[in-house]
Amino acid sequence: MKFKKLYFLFIIIPLLAFSTHKYYLSLTQIKFKEESKAVQIIINVFMDDIEIALNKDYDIDLQLTTKKELKNNDVYFERYLKNKLQLKINALKKEFTYIGKEYDGDLVYFYLEIENITNVTSIEVTNKILLTHFPKQENLIKSEVNRINKSVLLSKDYYLEKLSYQ
Amino acid sequence: MTKTRRLVLGILILTGAAFGQSTKTKQGHTNQNKFKQLKELLPTPNLQRTASGAPGIKYTQQKVDYTMGIILDDVNRRIYGDETITYHNNSDDTLAYLWVQLDQNMRAADSKTPDIQTSKIPNSISKTKFNKSYMDAPFDGGFKIESVLNMNDSNLQYTVNRTMMRINLPQPLVSGAKFEFKIKWWYNINNHRTDGGRSGYEHFSKDGNNNYVIAQFYPRLCVYDNIEGWQNEQFWGRSEFALEFGDFTVNITTPEDHMLGATGVLLNEADVLTKKELKRLKVAKTTFDNPVLIRTQEEAEKTEKNKSKKTKIWKFYAENVRDYAFATSRKFIWDAMAVDINGKTVMAHSLYSKEANPLYGDHSTRAVVQTLKTYSKYTFDYPYHKAISVDGQMGMEYPQICFNPGRPDLPDGGYSDRVKYRMIKVTIHEVGHNFFPMIVNSDERQWTWMDEGLNSYVEMLAELEYDKDFPVTRGYPKNIVGYMSGDQSQIAPIMSKGDHVYEFGNNAYGKPATALWILRETIMGKELFDHAFRTYSQRWMFKHPTPADFFRTMEDASGIDLDWFWRGWFYSTDVTDIGIENVRKFYAADGEDKSVNFIEDTTEGLKINKSKTAKSKYFYEIAFNKPGGLVMPIIVAYTYDDGTTEKKTYPAQIWRYNDNQVTKVVHSEKQIIKIVIDPDLETADVDLSNNSFPKDIEDAFSRFKTKMKN
Repeated sequence: MKFKKLYFLFIIIPLLAFSTHKYYLSLTQIKFKEESKAVQIIINVFMDDIEIALNKDYDIDLQLTTKKELKNNDVYFERYLKNKLQLKINALKKEFTYIGKEYDGDLVYFYLEIENITNVTSIEVTNKILLTHFPKQENLIKSEVNRINKSVLLSKDYYLEKLSYQ
Repeated sequence: MTKTRRLVLGILILTGAAFGQSTKTKQGHTNQNKFKQLKELLPTPNLQRTASGAPGIKYTQQKVDYTMGIILDDVNRRIYGDETITYHNNSDDTLAYLWVQLDQNMRAADSKTPDIQTSKIPNSISKTKFNKSYMDAPFDGGFKIESVLNMNDSNLQYTVNRTMMRINLPQPLVSGAKFEFKIKWWYNINNHRTDGGRSGYEHFSKDGNNNYVIAQFYPRLCVYDNIEGWQNEQFWGRSEFALEFGDFTVNITTPEDHMLGATGVLLNEADVLTKKELKRLKVAKTTFDNPVLIRTQEEAEKTEKNKSKKTKIWKFYAENVRDYAFATSRKFIWDAMAVDINGKTVMAHSLYSKEANPLYGDHSTRAVVQTLKTYSKYTFDYPYHKAISVDGQMGMEYPQICFNPGRPDLPDGGYSDRVKYRMIKVTIHEVGHNFFPMIVNSDERQWTWMDEGLNSYVEMLAELEYDKDFPVTRGYPKNIVGYMSGDQSQIAPIMSKGDHVYEFGNNAYGKPATALWILRETIMGKELFDHAFRTYSQRWMFKHPTPADFFRTMEDASGIDLDWFWRGWFYSTDVTDIGIENVRKFYAADGEDKSVNFIEDTTEGLKINKSKTAKSKYFYEIAFNKPGGLVMPIIVAYTYDDGTTEKKTYPAQIWRYNDNQVTKVVHSEKQIIKIVIDPDLETADVDLSNNSFPKDIEDAFSRFKTKMKN
């Protein structure tokens, strides 16, 4: 029955004139790595969108990938992600470590990690990344825990979901 | 039966019985080979569609001509139409009724489109959205049909079934005959910026103007063919259109101070353009290097201040197009230039409001030019006289005209590279749709991928020709891995109806574009692929191809069996995952009786420890395994101890006897120190952790963490 919910979230796209291309989508990949006792998270977002959001929220001018790129911008990215992304593992709130970011084409990748996790039965994700400034933003969450894949599409109205792996 | 024979038989029965206790009688199976031909999946060839993938001698296609008088009411944001349709029955069949598409009924107050979406209580919601979702009456953007008449003005019987209307013919329409009738209609235009849609208006509160981008706006005939009968599946909002070709005579009435662009040849230039504009247009028609401004920003800014109550009529004729669309506003700036397509001059135009400048002025028309050039090279010479790009702030395509996104994003009014590239990318894509599906006219209602996938692939080539460093975002194999390796319950095969796929962009655009890229770069080679792709495009120009026609032509024109590729990439959601399970290493030594023995070195790793005196090549027996369901070539890079690397490709057919594991012997004068599968990421392999021997590839996260530590 879980999929019905997802189906709705995907099918709402056409009503937003998604014949195409300028779409507002981020991808958050969450993986529980048993051998490292860690939950590892890679997030990719469109560079222009995250730049607009941070410039507005923190009154800065990031100029990513240009010669004028704001130095030490990781401080802002970390603050932004901590503010917009919360995780509960097995119903307990967990803080993540911001490892860093890298650029690839028009995307920015963020690497986050939660250590000292020995066992995962559920992950509750609250993802409000880019939702404030982009009403059509959608945040796709893909997760892999104990070889079970679960995904959910979050958006302005539905930014929280609990994924179970039992 | 002799005694001995009986004895043997007895033993056989006994042994059989003995084993029979632990094993069942062996069961047979059907042909599950991944290289099995597609014959059972594809329709049987006939005289309309041949086994080679070309149209056959009995191929027919209906033709529908339209004569329309359109009135745009800018004050009430309504559109009125008076339409005469001439339907030519070129099929061999007799038709008792005709089906007409009423796309705007998807926006009717009683539309069922919202009803098929399941819903749940949101976590939270903005007040505006709350009111819109739960308080306000739904917007009524459905067609108001005023009359459906015979040519003698008597009523013609019809039945509306939501987005489809059946015209009940007074008498059956026989093969070769034509039927004429009239429809009068109007509807409320939607605000596409707030309500979405592939057509509508954008309101500018500062100056009180509207930019109209109008499409799917008139009752349009459905396709009738030998594949679907009538293609009258409902329009739910996503899966686009199936349309017949025909000739359009259209008069559009707009406020007098509007600038308009539309499908077709403008017949009364002198009535609707100023003398200055006519003069500049003439210059543009012979200017091949830079866009020429026909209405400048200064002029447009002056025009947008007036709200003329007078009207004017724009007269167009469009020959052999499958659809009709237009864009109109007081705000439009207009530039144009000429393009030389193999000796024929085609015009590239752009219409945009000042809000889109300087981005549109710098790049829009140039992107149109690039598209016409590149696409003509890989398919056929662009047959129409023009292509227009409009600042429509969406991404949507119609014959000779398309609506594109992108506005300057920097505080000083300029634009970033990212906004620039995205705008160029979408413009190339939408102009490219003139080829697929506007001319190679596949059925979008059923097969979204046939136009979106093919178009997304040629789009890549045009982007790279526009700028060799163009940030191509879709179509490279490595870019589809995230999608293909995802949750299988959220993935549909490419061969699915557009309304039923989960990730529309990846399913209908990204994956098929990647599949074609792989065919060209890795499986077939550029020369064979390009010839076959061009053959398909030319065979089906101004016709209705189906997937089978595409699959068959690509094989027929190249001499390469690709059934395994279509089966895996288009009919299944299987993934590529090829790995190295194990490597055994040997050297040779002379044995007895002139034989040669292979001496195995069973130590770890690839290094072979043989005595210095032994004169022998090095031998490696490599076991490749295939955890992924797709069969693909095994592309291997062998690195030798002198630092050189050699790339070898074993065709996909290596998997024909065993779909799980194959072994291969390589021999060499030099020691191999490293073996890597798919070193250039050509196959969309979803798991790279098994691609190297000795193992060394870390996952993305560990790689990044290591990089940060250093």
